[in-house]
Amino acid sequence: MSERDLASVSPGRTGGRGGVLAVLERGFTVIRNQNWMILVSGFFEPVFYLLAMGVGMGMLVGEVSGPGGREVTYAAFIAPALLATSAMNGAFYDSTWNVFFKLRFAKLYEAMLQTSLSPWNVALGEILMALFRGFLYALGFLGVLAIMGLVTSWWALAMVPVAVLIAFGFAALGMGVTSFLTRFQQMDLLNFVMLPMFLFSATLYPITVYPEVVQWFVMALPLWHGVELMRQLSVGYLTTATLVHVGYFLAMTAAGLWLTTRRLRALFLR
Amino acid sequence: MTEQTVGHHSDDLDTTSLAYSGRAPGHAEMAARAHRFGVWYYAETVLRTMRAFIVPGLLNAVGLPLLYIVAMGLGLGSLVSGGVGRVDGVDYLTFVVPALLVSTAVMSMSGEMTFPIMAGFKWMRTYYGPAATGLRPGQLATGHLLAVIIRFAIQTTIFYIIALMFGATQPGWSVLMVPIAILAATAFGAPLQAYAASLEGEGFQFSFVQRFIVMPMFLFSGTFFPLSVMPVYLQWIGWLSPVWHGTQLARAASYGAAVEGWLIAVHLLVLAAATVAGALLARRVYTRRLTS
Repeated sequence: MSERDLASVSPGRTGGRGGVLAVLERGFTVIRNQNWMILVSGFFEPVFYLLAMGVGMGMLVGEVSGPGGREVTYAAFIAPALLATSAMNGAFYDSTWNVFFKLRFAKLYEAMLQTSLSPWNVALGEILMALFRGFLYALGFLGVLAIMGLVTSWWALAMVPVAVLIAFGFAALGMGVTSFLTRFQQMDLLNFVMLPMFLFSATLYPITVYPEVVQWFVMALPLWHGVELMRQLSVGYLTTATLVHVGYFLAMTAAGLWLTTRRLRALFLR
Repeated sequence: MTEQTVGHHSDDLDTTSLAYSGRAPGHAEMAARAHRFGVWYYAETVLRTMRAFIVPGLLNAVGLPLLYIVAMGLGLGSLVSGGVGRVDGVDYLTFVVPALLVSTAVMSMSGEMTFPIMAGFKWMRTYYGPAATGLRPGQLATGHLLAVIIRFAIQTTIFYIIALMFGATQPGWSVLMVPIAILAATAFGAPLQAYAASLEGEGFQFSFVQRFIVMPMFLFSGTFFPLSVMPVYLQWIGWLSPVWHGTQLARAASYGAAVEGWLIAVHLLVLAAATVAGALLARRVYTRRLTS
């Protein structure tokens, strides 16, 4: 590329949307060249869970009371929760382990920020990649639910954008948190937040099995809001609580984006 | 070399002065010992490196059983008691705990027998130093496996004690769950070690092992419900899985689940065969790779 070509390219890429697109383009190139099989295989995890727990446990449990107190099969009860969980996991691991590696070992962000890309471009670009993954999985999983006859309302279509919203919240926050970590061992601590969150967020059984104090604690966790939101949409039972759940994720996303951008700026543009 | 430079690692073992003092055996004797105890030497090395992660390790060893027992045993158990009530003649917590004990040991194996093995050959190349001494490659393979077994023996014992505290099992024969879990974990770990050692480059293989072997093994091995409630076309996963064989044995040990005598023999045989075959294969792969 001649000097004149470079001069004509650079101004367009400074900040703004062009920068985010460049980060996205890199992400898609990596997927195409290297890890599309890993990407696709991630879809099977919630499906395995649904098959095993929905069919097997369903035989032991029978019906469970779903949104609005309606009785639903156990498979119909856990399916929306598994979709919320897979949106969370996909986005969160993408934006923690993956970002940690790029930040501390590959020094990718350092390189990116040497160009005209801004911290905001890098943060948003990486997070959008995590969302793309969440979107794919949600679409696939919804298809599986439809085939298994677990979808009973048109509102279920809204589960796809909601999965992306959940992923957005976790990806934004995850990347911000990762920027504070410096050693691999600290990453293990994240599992100690994520696994309990999965197990205790009323995913596999109703929140009512807990004493009231524990219930309040669970309601503070983001995944619980995601699970409830998905569960309501799966049967089309919407209340004012629906708005609270959506609001929780909007706030979480905003806070995460603010934190991540600030941290990248602090780390590299001192 | 002057005295000062010889002794500059004052806190380490000063091998030179040890040799000249006449207390250390000669090279021939050292080599002979390496041949005899090489497996233990290498196991010690691996255990010492693991010591760096003792705090997160203990957190795992105590935290995971607690989480699983509370979430699966008590939470899911309350649903089951509202549904069918008892499973296999016992309450749900008693039913599920032997399976959780076995499956956490088996699943932890995938962490120990994938990336650390590749690190030994490729990233950190920790195998090549010892391989250049009197230690044989086969001893490195077995030593590494032995170190991991020792680690899981500790971890599983902690799980067992927690299960006792929750009243999920009664003291007595149930203590056999610890060796059973270790046998099941080794039956999975040894072949996995051989496979990981045979890989030249890091690709998607380990993610695939995690997603298409470890996860299904955990979910479809009669861990959370008797294998018999699954449709027949999914039961074969359990028959192949060390988790199922180990879980059946552990249930018999924990609460006297009715498992026929010949089936107990089959479970033990499958697990022992997989362990021996995996360990032999791993020795061969290590030897081929470290001596070529």
